[in-house]
Amino acid sequence: MSPGSERTPVVVNTVELANVRKSYDDFVAVDNLSLRIQPGRIYGLLGPNGAGKTSTLRMIIGIIVPDSGQVFVLGEPLSRTHTDRFGYLPEERGLYKKMKVLAHLVLLAQLKGLTSGEASKRAHHWCERFELTAWIDKKVEELSKGMQQKVQFIGAILHDPELIVMDEPFSGLDPASALALKDALLELAKNGKTILLSTHRMDQAERLCQSICLINRGRAVLEGDLDQIKANYGHCSVQIKYDGDAGFLHVPTLVQSFNDYGNYVEVRLMPGADTQELLQKACSKARLDRFEVMQPSLEEIFIEAVSKPNA
Amino acid sequence: MRNTWLIIKREYLERVRTRTFLALTLLAPALMTVLMVLPVKLATMGERIQHVVVVTSTPQFGEIVRQRLLSANSAASDSDDEVGSETNADKPASDKQYIIDVDSNPTEAERAVLRGKVASQAIDGYLWLSDDAIADGKVTWASRNMAGFAERSRLSGELNRIIQYARLSRNGFTGDQADLVLKPVKVEAIRIERGQETKDSSGKKLLEVVVMVMLIYMAVLLYGISVMRSVLEEKNSRVMEVLLSSATSTELMIGKIFGVGAVGLTQIVVWAVMAGVFALPSLAMSVDLSQLQVSPGVLVAFAGFFLLGYLLFSALYAAIGAITTTEQEGQQLQFIIVIPLVISVFMLNSAVKTPDAPAVVWLSMVPFLSPVLMYARIVIQTPPLWQIALSLFLLIATIAGLLALCARIYRVGILIYGKRATLPEILKWLKYAKT
Repeated sequence: MSPGSERTPVVVNTVELANVRKSYDDFVAVDNLSLRIQPGRIYGLLGPNGAGKTSTLRMIIGIIVPDSGQVFVLGEPLSRTHTDRFGYLPEERGLYKKMKVLAHLVLLAQLKGLTSGEASKRAHHWCERFELTAWIDKKVEELSKGMQQKVQFIGAILHDPELIVMDEPFSGLDPASALALKDALLELAKNGKTILLSTHRMDQAERLCQSICLINRGRAVLEGDLDQIKANYGHCSVQIKYDGDAGFLHVPTLVQSFNDYGNYVEVRLMPGADTQELLQKACSKARLDRFEVMQPSLEEIFIEAVSKPNA
Repeated sequence: MRNTWLIIKREYLERVRTRTFLALTLLAPALMTVLMVLPVKLATMGERIQHVVVVTSTPQFGEIVRQRLLSANSAASDSDDEVGSETNADKPASDKQYIIDVDSNPTEAERAVLRGKVASQAIDGYLWLSDDAIADGKVTWASRNMAGFAERSRLSGELNRIIQYARLSRNGFTGDQADLVLKPVKVEAIRIERGQETKDSSGKKLLEVVVMVMLIYMAVLLYGISVMRSVLEEKNSRVMEVLLSSATSTELMIGKIFGVGAVGLTQIVVWAVMAGVFALPSLAMSVDLSQLQVSPGVLVAFAGFFLLGYLLFSALYAAIGAITTTEQEGQQLQFIIVIPLVISVFMLNSAVKTPDAPAVVWLSMVPFLSPVLMYARIVIQTPPLWQIALSLFLLIATIAGLLALCARIYRVGILIYGKRATLPEILKWLKYAKT
């Protein structure tokens, strides 16, 4: 934290995009996109294929330059001096096929400013963790695709970057490797690293991310804290198992509709209605066995958001 | 700087450590030797002994002709490069063997018989030296095959001397007097350099220039193309994007060009050392080694123009790699590189003959031509210093400009997969890449 900031403990966003736009010929890949990524968070960039996710990530790490708008990193306009603090895993994975795993990892880390000794030490540690130790002196081309992906991931984080940017990190991984990768990401986030990942799989983002930005055709549809987004979504449903007076089901300001399944009722709340209010009303009249707020899935939210006429 | 150095190191070590490099470095000289020696061996292997008949009225004269032709043949290898030199008996004989018979019956009937013998392959040819023919100065050599140019000029040179000798002795000259008259004159070229006479043969000068041209050609085509190939490889293996998140495109390109360049230089040095160890001892036996000495100035010019020329063309190759997607496409664009090289070779002749001609002077300033042409001028006749300086300045400025330009093309081009870029697209990329 800079010394001048004692008055307000403002958290400096790790990444901030301000009205960023990027077009290729007539095709607008990213259109007036703004987002803020706070430190120590796992941030998901979501959207269907071709939504502009990769272009956005490339602009954040400085591989491409926006046509207009600005990218701020750690509170400063993005410049080459920041690159050593980034780790990047592109969607199109690629390694030098003829290089040996260890040598390759050391090269990647050296390009980020590590000494070869330190790089080698860390490479051994991470390879052990990902069960690659036996392959460390093999050429990259001798490894399976999944193992190559792990090597690539290690290459992106070996220099202990503050910001880890991963483009579709789980694509093409088998379940076991995906699990190992997820654990590693969670651990990194716990250690204060900021993680930005893109995915077109909503369920993944839902499980892993604290904040998200939903983009479609280059525009942000939704951005912010995931829980907040869900809360703001409005259409919330509650499953209630109760005994007694069912009067709370008929409060028009709270309940839009309900469906009695026999064992429990599923209540669809009015947009903006507070679940706590419903809970109080229900408690006062009936005995509750179960009261569970069912969060809308991201997929639902996304589909609704993009199907709005102005989206 | 750190990144550039790392890329150079990687490019260099990864290439030098391969078996292919080792094999090529060690086997290429062997292969080259075989390729140079084999055709000569093959050409001489098939040659039978040539059976030739000399037809003349006086057997004594015929005998003289026979002797001269036989000894001239044994010195043939020598008389090719120095016109008018005396026959040299202690030179090794060429592989071609001759049997020469003398026939002292120059009649039309005999001629018909000989013609039949040539046709039936009993003899290979006859030399018609009748008194009339000698008097007219028009003799005939008849064989199944037209004589080659070298063979015919050798024959006519020898016969000239024989017949002049015969005419002189017929007019009362003694043998010694005739030798004196016929003693050939040799022109020795002397070059004035900074008021000093240097005994440089133009042949040696030309050699110095040709060696340069060959090395530039070889380096550009062999290593320049591997710069292109390695750019394409990185694009196709998608490793580029990871590298770009750490290093700038300029660092990557410079690293690549210097790394691959260092590999090429290593190879050339290894070959030069091998040539020095194996070829020089045998060369030293036949040629005076002091003649081979090249002045330090020329060596510096050689090194400088070679390296700068190599850099210039490599940068172009890297750019071609950046805008294409496959090697085939890249090779189609190679003409961009080959054309200036070809032009400089075309101009080479004028540069060597008339290094002062305005066209040569100005073309030797043009960056894509200067590595060959300015170097040639320096070897032949040291040009004014300002011309060398201007040429170097333009060359270096062009390289710097080209590197900056190529880095931009590279930066955008390497991220575009799947199709070759058109010229308008490239121009647009240059705009995109602005920061």
